[in-house]
Amino acid sequence: MPVKTYDVLIVGSGHSGGMAANILTSKGISCLMLNAGPEADYEKDRALKHAYELPYRGFDKPGRLPHVFQANEFNANQWVDEKEVPYTCPSDAPYNWVRVRLLGGRSLFWARQSFRLSNLEFKAAEIDGEGENWPISLEDLAPYYSRVEKIFRVAGRKEGWPQFPDGDFVEINYPPDTDSIKRFTQIATKQGVGVSKWRSALGKDGLASSINLLLPDALATGKLDIVENAIVREISVDKNTGLANGAHFVDRHSGREMHVKTRVVVLAAGCLESTRLLLNSKIGNSSGVMGHYLVDQMYGVSVVASVPEARDGKAPPGLMGGNAFIPRFRNLSKKDKRNFIKGYCVGISSGGNANANFFPLYGEELQAKLDSYANSCVSGSIFGERVARYENHVRIDSEVKDRWGIPVLHIEARDTDNERNLCKDAADTIEEWFHDAGWEIICKTDRVNPPGYSIHEVGTCRMGDDPKKSVLNKWCQSHDVKNIFVVDGASFVTCGWQNPTMTILSLSMRASEYLAEQMRTNAV
Amino acid sequence: MKRRNFVQNLLLAPVAPAVAAAATQTPSPQPAIHQKPATEPKTPVRERPWGPHDVPKLDLTGVDLTGQPAPHYFTAAQFATLRKLGALFVPPLKSNPGALEAQAPEFLDFLIGASPDDRQNLYRFGLDSLDSQSRDQFQKPFCDLDAQQADRILRPLLVVRPWAEDFPSDPLQKFIAQVHEDLRTATMNSREWAAASEKSGRHFTRGFRGSGYYWFPIDPISQG
Ligand SMILES: Cc1cc2nc3c(=O)[nH]c(=O)nc-3n(C[C@H](O)[C@H](O)[C@H](O)COP(=O)(O)OP(=O)(O)OC[C@H]3O[C@@H](n4cnc5c(N)ncnc54)[C@H](O)[C@@H]3O)c2cc1C
Repeated sequence: MPVKTYDVLIVGSGHSGGMAANILTSKGISCLMLNAGPEADYEKDRALKHAYELPYRGFDKPGRLPHVFQANEFNANQWVDEKEVPYTCPSDAPYNWVRVRLLGGRSLFWARQSFRLSNLEFKAAEIDGEGENWPISLEDLAPYYSRVEKIFRVAGRKEGWPQFPDGDFVEINYPPDTDSIKRFTQIATKQGVGVSKWRSALGKDGLASSINLLLPDALATGKLDIVENAIVREISVDKNTGLANGAHFVDRHSGREMHVKTRVVVLAAGCLESTRLLLNSKIGNSSGVMGHYLVDQMYGVSVVASVPEARDGKAPPGLMGGNAFIPRFRNLSKKDKRNFIKGYCVGISSGGNANANFFPLYGEELQAKLDSYANSCVSGSIFGERVARYENHVRIDSEVKDRWGIPVLHIEARDTDNERNLCKDAADTIEEWFHDAGWEIICKTDRVNPPGYSIHEVGTCRMGDDPKKSVLNKWCQSHDVKNIFVVDGASFVTCGWQNPTMTILSLSMRASEYLAEQMRTNAV
Repeated sequence: MKRRNFVQNLLLAPVAPAVAAAATQTPSPQPAIHQKPATEPKTPVRERPWGPHDVPKLDLTGVDLTGQPAPHYFTAAQFATLRKLGALFVPPLKSNPGALEAQAPEFLDFLIGASPDDRQNLYRFGLDSLDSQSRDQFQKPFCDLDAQQADRILRPLLVVRPWAEDFPSDPLQKFIAQVHEDLRTATMNSREWAAASEKSGRHFTRGFRGSGYYWFPIDPISQG
């Protein structure tokens, strides 16, 4: 049977792959998208249930997803099964790799917080005095951010602060701040700290995914075919030209091996899976940098306080509820000298209940405390920036293979004093704010969850102008193999404190337009 | 078929905010390679598919309504200690059932019996330690202590945990934190708790506790 031929193979169907498909097909370029997992049917595959109806009463099958702290029995089947696709870590350095292989990838479940990076991140080396700058600046990416924000309908409040670049936001009416949030804002503002609001992608009906915002248009061009359950194992290379000429893939159910020929390969399998694929294909790594500089944000630092006037159900109307968001406020200039470089943002939420684990109590005494503190709590937590370090890396562990015989990743990432000092500063600062507000501190921790926990892993094929120090050029194009592009988070040079997806989408859009132009002029 | 319909519906939806609409206008280049149309044989359409029709959907009964759990993992002494902890940590309060009414210890006997070694070891160590401490201090098993006596053992073992996943490094403190959390969850996720909430007109919380959207295994690979 004659098979179709395609210009571009796109590996992965999440935000990054969806954007590549959308842009490339809109330019008349034919694309094949291979996705490792199946399509979910929202009607058939999920149902509203009580926890007692589930086989393990909501606990989930013991030992099933030891590294996915976000997993519970309701959502356990969303995540990649760690036994099917394992990875290895040193015993003293656990890594939480949180993956989704369904069509649409993580875009089905992300929390939709949407921020731009600023030049504090793009030009980080200048302010940090170490590390590398990105080969692009905010000005290069700003037009793409704008277009992405319109597609994803990002709601946000404009502030005009350089460390928190404004975007093309949907205007929404934020409800007036409650008195607890006003009180907090006064205290932080007095210290010169800017207090804003969360920025969030509204998408459509609460879904801001490739499957509803990007892929339908791409399919409508007639230029895109999507194949589910197709796991790409290796990129194939033409021995004469050294260029990629397609990929070997395997059917998830039967294990049947297939090959597809294409002119260009776009990797959008998520930072670590794209890197694994390149490492297993043994291409694109003349710099020796591939797999290194793995980085993500730190989550875990948290302070919870209780507003005394709100206790025992006595909160007057308008006291509790609402939230505030503080973008990075540390190390905004070289003058700010601390025992750490980089910074963190703080999310403040008012009006919550206290958790049972906050109190060293049990039984009736615990219940009385929980009742008394209900709706009186204010919490503060951070996303902190880690430093991208060469030592934090992934490599192939050829001893261990996944269910389809594909060698897995070994992941090694550790924190240093910079991360610990940053987290201590964050916990102390939030505690001080809450204390100044006259609130009772219930608990405080500067402990950080293991790397990977933020689900924002980036950096393992970093971009740069120098092919000796980077894997990709500023267009997300392999320095070594010109017809390979990596459009997910692997290209990041620093991770910032910002959730990465707006940047991933903008980079994918920019790279795809560049690729389309290169194909038009036959430069690729 | 269903899948196609789904995609088509998405295509027809007038709202999808097109990248094209947001994109700057650039002339489309010619595609570099022209696509050959693939020929895919069509599945024959039949008026009425083969096989039985109008298969009745039978009314089935939930297993918990028909049988009692049969705990067998813990020893009798360990299970008695676990029940005692259930009674102390999660007693019936207001209109809610306690851990014993919700059969939380029986459920944990099953859950821990199906758990990895480290969780099993933690439980066995913790239950045995409490019992031997009780015998040393009060010359009787933990399950026979009165509330004050039990409190003298338990209170020093309680710690503040900012996040649910924070556990102390001391093994006995860790066990107490874990079993307390597990007993609460097994109670609040029970059929009895749900029934009591419904009766008192309280709503469920969504998510981990209470109720939520459950995702079935999606297109699972056969385990052959
Ligand atoms: C619960 C949760 C909350 C989040 N919240 C936020 C947030 O608030 N803000 C934010 O910015 N980000 C958030 N994120 C992160 C965000 O989802 C990701 O940054 C983004 O979706 C990554 O998109 P991607 O296309 O690079 O990768 P993915 O979404 O991981 O897509 C990769 C795709 O590649 C496929 N694939 C992998 N390997 C292969 C292979 N070998 N062959 C074929 N296909 C393959 C997979 O099936 C998958 O569909 C969150 C993530 C989660 C899970």
